[in-house]
Amino acid sequence: MADSGGSEMSDFTATYSETATVESNSNHIGNGSVAYEKVDSEESLRNRRRLNGTAVNHRDEDLRKTTSSSQQNGLNFSKHNTSSGDKESFEEVSLISACLTYLGFYLLMVLGYINQLLFKPKVTKEENREGYVPLYNSFERFYMLYIYRRVRDCWNRPICSVPGAELTLKDRITPDYGWTFEFTGTQTRCLNLGSYNYLGFAAADGPCADDSAKMIEKRGLAYCSSRQELGTSFLHQDLEALTAKFLGTEDAIVFGMGFATNALNLPTLMSPGCLVLSDEKNHASIILGLRLSGATIKVFKHNNMKDLERVLRDALVYGQPKTGAPWKKMIICVEGVYSMEGSIVKLPEIVALKKKYKAYIYLDEAHSIGATGPHGRGIVDYYGLDPSDVDILMGTFTKSFGSAGGYIAGSKRLINFLRTNSHAHWYASSMSPPVAQQIFTSMSIILGLDGTNEGRRRIEQLARNTRYFRRRLAQIGVITYGHEDSPVIPLLVYLFSKIGAVVRTLTTRKIAVVGVGFPATPIMEGRIRFCLSAAHTKEQLDYALNVIDEISDKLGLKYSRKPRDPNPIEY
Amino acid sequence: MIKSITDFINYWYFRYLMVTELYMVEKWERVTIHVIFLVIFLLFWYFNYSVLLSFTGRILGITPISSVLHAATTSKFSAAA
Repeated sequence: MADSGGSEMSDFTATYSETATVESNSNHIGNGSVAYEKVDSEESLRNRRRLNGTAVNHRDEDLRKTTSSSQQNGLNFSKHNTSSGDKESFEEVSLISACLTYLGFYLLMVLGYINQLLFKPKVTKEENREGYVPLYNSFERFYMLYIYRRVRDCWNRPICSVPGAELTLKDRITPDYGWTFEFTGTQTRCLNLGSYNYLGFAAADGPCADDSAKMIEKRGLAYCSSRQELGTSFLHQDLEALTAKFLGTEDAIVFGMGFATNALNLPTLMSPGCLVLSDEKNHASIILGLRLSGATIKVFKHNNMKDLERVLRDALVYGQPKTGAPWKKMIICVEGVYSMEGSIVKLPEIVALKKKYKAYIYLDEAHSIGATGPHGRGIVDYYGLDPSDVDILMGTFTKSFGSAGGYIAGSKRLINFLRTNSHAHWYASSMSPPVAQQIFTSMSIILGLDGTNEGRRRIEQLARNTRYFRRRLAQIGVITYGHEDSPVIPLLVYLFSKIGAVVRTLTTRKIAVVGVGFPATPIMEGRIRFCLSAAHTKEQLDYALNVIDEISDKLGLKYSRKPRDPNPIEY
Repeated sequence: MIKSITDFINYWYFRYLMVTELYMVEKWERVTIHVIFLVIFLLFWYFNYSVLLSFTGRILGITPISSVLHAATTSKFSAAA
């Protein structure tokens, strides 16, 4: 892991290069042969060019610098991109598969239109609306009725147990291709690879559940009021203090809803005349918040620092549209772990850019808090950065803490500003006592305040599970996206049929997974998303991997054209 | 023997259905698409046979076998006469 050992961040460049060195070293250990081969081929290419008498151009010089040494100071993105590029992979599918995916999608569209023409859809119709434009007609509606509906049994599946390492699915059948469902009355116990239960705190027993149950007896279920009125209690204040301590910031503020934390606080912080640089894969809540704020939004390519700098520089040079006036402020909006791509933000580069261009950073750690970093403190901890480098740290309690809600952490001034201005703080009802208690107990365990090593054990277990599962999947030969340390693992299957077939087949083998398709991903990039947990044991993962190996042969999921590791992967 | 052949055909038919997304549609829709595929194939075949074949033959200088046969028969007749 790229931990620079908590070294002082005053001289950023030194720490930065150190981080890069550590990373590249670990890469060479990981897949040394591949990395060296690449260097060799570059070297030979250069030599060949010299032999041919071609002048060695400037780019070649750059290339040699980046491959030979990593002692340079300053910002050299190409270097870091290659070093973390080895850890992060976005393998492209072959042209023929892409063409077939498009062809299949057009076939489905054609069939959908034919079906719509011949039969009336079995949904409620708007009546007594003569002369009105239909309110609910759109492409999304057509998509829902004629593409999504056909494999609807693979989504929104009802469960009737706590979603821990295993869960109980309620079986259902559809007599009419997904228009309606009937419960059969039976249940299936499945291995759960679909919940964001990263640290395994979603459990029906244990200290978290006991404390929450006690809190219900003590404080009831809700305060029925907003934080600014009657909804604040010692619980919230303790939780905020603990969150600030956990993250290493001056202060923190908690909200009862994670989505609203983004959607309602971004408009508080930004206004028209501000510039926002938003990653193209940002979550819907961030996009909604940014749109509500009225700020100018510039989107940059996913995790592409060169593109970010280009967009940032262009926007800085040209100023506000029409007037050309300087921007009120600039904010870079990124997520820690991207939930659909499984990639990890390149935070050191973004911090360097922020310092260079004097922009602010808004970091959404919804999926990374608890799940990454040696202490479970998210991406800042993962890269060993100073929390004060990131101006606004946002995150949710829904995932790793097994609860609900969200927080924003940062400087005292920022949090005070939010306490007086945030709509979520003023108007949304405050966090329920048992929910707050669940977070409090789980966070105490992660911090080790309960006097045990349990938190540390869970973080390490998750990290091991993640590495193991990702490497085994790569060995199987399927395409997975993202960073090797991210516990969200998307397995690319591209086609809707394959999402359906994989989810159905895995259910028969007692494994519950989540398929993701349009509108959460681009239409052509359907995927199966595995979310690992510290609650999973090696045996459970082995079982799942063996089944995946078997079905990926049968269903044709082995799209990857990378060289595979012939040696058995150690846990 | 026969079973393995049918298994093989069934398996690859299933894979074909997956790739064309026909796996998840209703049966009558599957039939419709296959009829459309067949019609398109036949149209292409006819087009290739009637237009493209003589066109490429003229470009590459290949005489169609039918006209060769025709010429041979006519010349034989003329020789006999």
